[in-house]
Amino acid sequence: MRMPRDAMDQDAEGADDALVARFADGDAAAARLLTQRLVPRAYAHAVRLLGNHAEAEDIAQEAMLRLWRTAPRWRPGEARVTTWLYRVVANLCTDRLRRAGRDSFDLDAVPEPPGGAPGAEEALQSADRAAALQAALARLPLRQRQALVLRHIEGLANPRIAEIMETSTEAVESLTARGRRALAAELEGRRADLGYDA
Amino acid sequence: MDSTALKAHFEAARQHAPSPPDALMARVMADALAEQAAAPDVAAPARGRWAELLRALGGWPAVAGLACATLAGVWIGAFPPVGLQTAAGGLLTPDAALYTVDVMPATAFDASEGPS
Repeated sequence: MRMPRDAMDQDAEGADDALVARFADGDAAAARLLTQRLVPRAYAHAVRLLGNHAEAEDIAQEAMLRLWRTAPRWRPGEARVTTWLYRVVANLCTDRLRRAGRDSFDLDAVPEPPGGAPGAEEALQSADRAAALQAALARLPLRQRQALVLRHIEGLANPRIAEIMETSTEAVESLTARGRRALAAELEGRRADLGYDA
Repeated sequence: MDSTALKAHFEAARQHAPSPPDALMARVMADALAEQAAAPDVAAPARGRWAELLRALGGWPAVAGLACATLAGVWIGAFPPVGLQTAAGGLLTPDAALYTVDVMPATAFDASEGPS
């Protein structure tokens, strides 16, 4: 049921708008396409913000339920569907972290990178890096984490991130700059273990 | 740590993006279908010619008003009230040319008086 990554990365907001309208008209195929296009994004974003897969599932499902219920009143061209979705996911994550009285998440919730088995060394190193990054992100304040994920993993432009985070582009630049410095400091300690060339 | 090393980490994170479990996709899809089923007017919109005409006229309330006005017109035409007959008879009898009827005699302008 997964959508190819390159198809997801295309700027297909017009198509998303049309799919939302078709969904509101009762088209089950539109529901399936929206699920395939949007759930991977919502889920991955929630995992990166919360570090917990079970909680991320709840949040992705809740965000999509809100989309289904908003669909009849959706006004095409007013807001991008993915912008709206990222915002809803982030708000739900914020609520959950606030209720739990935390901002960063527990490092125990981050899966340990695989051990150094022989062969496929490059893939293992890549997995190690991803896990190390997730662990380092976990220690950052939520807003910095959100800005870094949107900018450097989702690959969105700063004005779009500002729209999602309901702040200014300058604030996003500041958040990402501080977040990169904090990440670099966090990752520095694991540098020798990871073995990258830098 | 420099920016190149950080980029390598971000690239690794993109390659190892968390994938939604199939069970989650199924739950989301089930929610979607349940929401569509819960909105029958939206899920099964009337698309026939009469439905389109009804919508163009402004829906049932507008059509009800239109039907009332039509019936009243037919009734008045078939059984005209006495007052209406008098007024219409004075104007529209065959021997009265319509252009000679003075509808406002008190305010008539007499052209023959000329300037005072």
